[in-house]
Amino acid sequence: MRAPIRWLQDYVDIDLPPGEIAERLTMAGLEVDAVEPKRPDFSDVVVARVLSVKPHPGADKLSVCEVRAGGAVYPVVCGAPNVRAGMLSAFAKVGAVIPGGYTIKSTKIRGEASEGMLCSEEELGIGEDAAGIMDIGEDLPEGADLAEALGLVDTVLDIGITPNRSDCLSVIGIAREVAFLTGKTLRYPAVDPKEGGGNIGGVTSVRILDPDLCPRYTARMIRNVKIGPSPAWMRRRLEAAGMRAINNVVDVTNFVMLEFGQPLHAFDFRFLEEGRIEVRRSRKGEPFVSLDGKERTLGGDVLMICDGKKPVAIGGIMGGLNSEVKDDTSDILLESAYFNPSSIRRSARSLGMGTDAAYRFERGIDPEGVVRAANRAAQLIAELSGGTILRGIIDEHPKPVAAAGAISLRAERVNAVLGTSIPEPEMVRILEGIEMKVEKAGAGRYSVRPPSFRVDIEREIDLVEEIARLWGFGRVPVTMPCAAPEPPVQSGKGVVEGRIRDFLSGSGYTEVINYSFITPLSADRLGLPERDERRGWVKIANPLSEDQSVLRTTILWSLVETWRRNAYAGCSDLKIYEIGKVFFRRGEGELPLERNRVGGLITGARYDESWGFGGVEADFFDLKGVVEGLFDVLRFSGAEYRSDFREPFLHPGRCCGVSLGGETVGFVGEIHPAVQAALDLKARAVVFELDLDALTERFSDRVAFREIPRYPSGSRDTAFLVDRTVEAERMLRIVREGGEELLESVDIFDVYTGRGVEEGKKSVAVRFSYRSSGRTLTDEEIRTVHERIVSAIVRETGARIRGTE
Amino acid sequence: MRQRLEELERAAESELPGADSEEALAAVRTKYLGRKGLLTGMLRNLAAVSAEERPALGKLANDIKERLTAKIDSRAAQLAASAGERALLRDRLDVSLPGRVVRRGRFHPISQIRQEICGIFAGLGFSVVEGPEVESDYYNFEALNIPKDHPARDMQDTFYVEENIVLRTHTSPVQVRVMEKRRPPVRILSPGRVYRPDSDISHTPMFHQIEGLLVDRGIRFSDLKGILTVFVQRVFGENTAIRFRPSFFPFTEPSAEVDIRCVICRGAGCRVCKQSGWLEILGSGMVDPAVFRSVGYDAEEVTGFAFGMGLERIAMLKYGITDIRLFFENDIRFLRQF
Repeated sequence: MRAPIRWLQDYVDIDLPPGEIAERLTMAGLEVDAVEPKRPDFSDVVVARVLSVKPHPGADKLSVCEVRAGGAVYPVVCGAPNVRAGMLSAFAKVGAVIPGGYTIKSTKIRGEASEGMLCSEEELGIGEDAAGIMDIGEDLPEGADLAEALGLVDTVLDIGITPNRSDCLSVIGIAREVAFLTGKTLRYPAVDPKEGGGNIGGVTSVRILDPDLCPRYTARMIRNVKIGPSPAWMRRRLEAAGMRAINNVVDVTNFVMLEFGQPLHAFDFRFLEEGRIEVRRSRKGEPFVSLDGKERTLGGDVLMICDGKKPVAIGGIMGGLNSEVKDDTSDILLESAYFNPSSIRRSARSLGMGTDAAYRFERGIDPEGVVRAANRAAQLIAELSGGTILRGIIDEHPKPVAAAGAISLRAERVNAVLGTSIPEPEMVRILEGIEMKVEKAGAGRYSVRPPSFRVDIEREIDLVEEIARLWGFGRVPVTMPCAAPEPPVQSGKGVVEGRIRDFLSGSGYTEVINYSFITPLSADRLGLPERDERRGWVKIANPLSEDQSVLRTTILWSLVETWRRNAYAGCSDLKIYEIGKVFFRRGEGELPLERNRVGGLITGARYDESWGFGGVEADFFDLKGVVEGLFDVLRFSGAEYRSDFREPFLHPGRCCGVSLGGETVGFVGEIHPAVQAALDLKARAVVFELDLDALTERFSDRVAFREIPRYPSGSRDTAFLVDRTVEAERMLRIVREGGEELLESVDIFDVYTGRGVEEGKKSVAVRFSYRSSGRTLTDEEIRTVHERIVSAIVRETGARIRGTE
Repeated sequence: MRQRLEELERAAESELPGADSEEALAAVRTKYLGRKGLLTGMLRNLAAVSAEERPALGKLANDIKERLTAKIDSRAAQLAASAGERALLRDRLDVSLPGRVVRRGRFHPISQIRQEICGIFAGLGFSVVEGPEVESDYYNFEALNIPKDHPARDMQDTFYVEENIVLRTHTSPVQVRVMEKRRPPVRILSPGRVYRPDSDISHTPMFHQIEGLLVDRGIRFSDLKGILTVFVQRVFGENTAIRFRPSFFPFTEPSAEVDIRCVICRGAGCRVCKQSGWLEILGSGMVDPAVFRSVGYDAEEVTGFAFGMGLERIAMLKYGITDIRLFFENDIRFLRQF
């Protein structure tokens, strides 16, 4: 809402600078976004006195004048017929800029020097009179800046009005706040329409068929108007408030809307068939051309203003082209009504017509201000366009608008909620200051009746807020809650997520955060089969773009996208991870399944390139190691890595499923070369994704201490020559299943293929460590156990022993 | 004789610093203490001294011998040690070469801010609770006193999944979900992703909020001021000026925006604060009785306050980031700065 200070001054005396007014309004909840100085579109134009006027020797219609401004006298050639010695006029000095961007220069006109220009109102853009130069009747100081002297300099407050304060979508509403905040009295404009001619009842009628959508409709008739431009003061007001001036009738309806907050509409009466108004719901499929020239097809629930035959306006939103006020309009039917706020909002939204009128109606106008606004507008139209207001007003009021009743207020409650000790008389002063009727209703109790324009005030808490904001939030003390808080509880998910985050960042991985929405094309890029559950997206009905139209079902795609963006930017070494949700659609009307996931990606060098190391490309085992380390941090043991696991987007020979307790919780693998190539990425990358919720379910922070061994261990290393297809895990499983009590640990410390190992085979070197908790083992004891284990491996895998130590 | 002995000692001592090798030191030792050394010679000459003088001079000569021996030995040890050091220096490293850096990965700046804020509120007794990101219209709006067809809905543009299912536009629905399940007192903090269809230099369609809620008997608006003042000064510094400005949120009343003195211009007025000298950083207010009603709390019995803030905004102000989209482009050169 734009409120020009000069307009506000019509209703309240303002003697503080605009910045101070802005500050007070802001701190009372009317946030002033900008304080805009407003000047007419000229500079260096001053008040000047014409000292002498002589005919121009070389031209009949020109005069040569002497003009005095600020002590200096200037020779000026002037063509205006009304120029005369002794008059005060507007003088544009040399260097002045006037509307249209003209700069006044020192010149000679037919041989006579002219140092400046005497201007008409029209030339300065401050009036219509183009017949002659300005004739300033008032006694203004010579040499004074014309804009200042005529009061054309203004300041506009641009105020963000919160949805609850519909009363402040008007200059008077803001003036009311200013009046309270500066200790002044609000003056309402005198509304006194001079009626004449016949009675409105004999000319037109109003019938409301759907009172639920239109509880009140009033109409005034103004006859014999003469359409023309509005006077300069009106145009200036509208323009300062951010509206375009149109003509002296439409401008009045806009002016009164801005003044009182009541949207109005003027119909050209000659186009109203049967000369009457009918208010009803639209018929489904009914076409209508609104003032903006667009043809719309209406649904079945839009409130329409009709004449005897057809719709002529979309009620409360926009008038129709068919009944628009034109240059030759002479009879006006003026509408001032109260429409159902939610109905207006629904219609305006479904039609995509967020007009100034709809904006006010949907927030709730003053139901008691309807007639006053009609009268005010009729009066102004008659004044500005010379028409006659017919006697009487039609006021169809089939359904009273529910007004808030008296609200009971407990002074003690006010202070209890706020933590203040505001005295009761102060509360009463504040409420009465914004036009509430306050009556004492017992000790510390009041009965408060809000004015009709405060449609937001219905409950005691609303009054508490009014008292608080006008008393001043700054004056509320700063305290701490009395009750001692319980120590906060951390959820299991919070603990697990925190550990994972610490571990991953500690291990050199950087956290990324991607949008939850992705492109549905990702499924094809990843090669997901038709029936894959990861195509069961939650779709956004109104996405910003197609590539942000579905919620992700895997973190992987986000990581790959991050990889791609960084690679294109020239950063090819990446270690990244993301923790976030994935979403799976469920039945209609049901919220989707949301799962927390953690995913990571490594590509490029394993370490930063440096003099001592580096140059090693990261591979599958880097990320598998991260997953293993992550499980170690969470104290999970017994994770299984299954090579029979397949994902279309993973390299079939370089991926595995990760299971805990038999349940698959995620995967590790190299991105499939085909996927990588399709994304135009050169390097390879390894990714993992784990279901964080599944990890949380299994997480337990219990630690059981084990005695530190007192007796030494003995280890034996054996290299097995096996087929390359034999998985290390299989060998380890054989060992584990053997269940040897003395075997403390078993580790693969080398895997070798190449020279000395025949084609199709690999050498797997394994270290077995033996220990007893009760004694030092003898070589003999160790050898017996070791040979049993080795022969089991040989038996089950067909391995040969390369050498025994 | 006495004088000559003392001169000899001084002469011997003065030669020690110059003896910078084992050979040189051995020569000094021989010169004075050797079988034909100068001191040895003098001792031999004692015979020629008178009987009364002899014991005193003998003792002096022996003391000098002992002192010199000790000094030469100590010098020898010194020389041996420095020879060892010299040998080690032959194995010297170019310590100016860079070390093998153990590079820690970074937390996303939004995570860092979230951790900081959660940490501050944990100290004030607030527990972290999370909620769904895809929400029903009921939790996102209705239960928060934002009915359908109400202009307050304009405050937040919304992504829809279905007519009554939305991507949550704020973290406030978690308030309702928690209060439905628990009786007061409630002290919770709810961080998370939220969504609004908006995209430009200061808006992204997804961003992060933290919501706080405190409900108990006798909670006052002044307590809201207290808690939030502590919080703001912890995040932005003890001397940060702060103001509470009346505003409107459908689910709180009275409602307050919290502004801090502009961190860029310190209040002088600049582009970031739109010349106001103040920056809006969070919204807050006393929980509206309508919200209490929807969760079955008695608004006469308990009161409370809620607050919410955008993490990106706080991170941008704290780090001087000018384009919010950087947070989600995940350029590694951006992320490594935090």
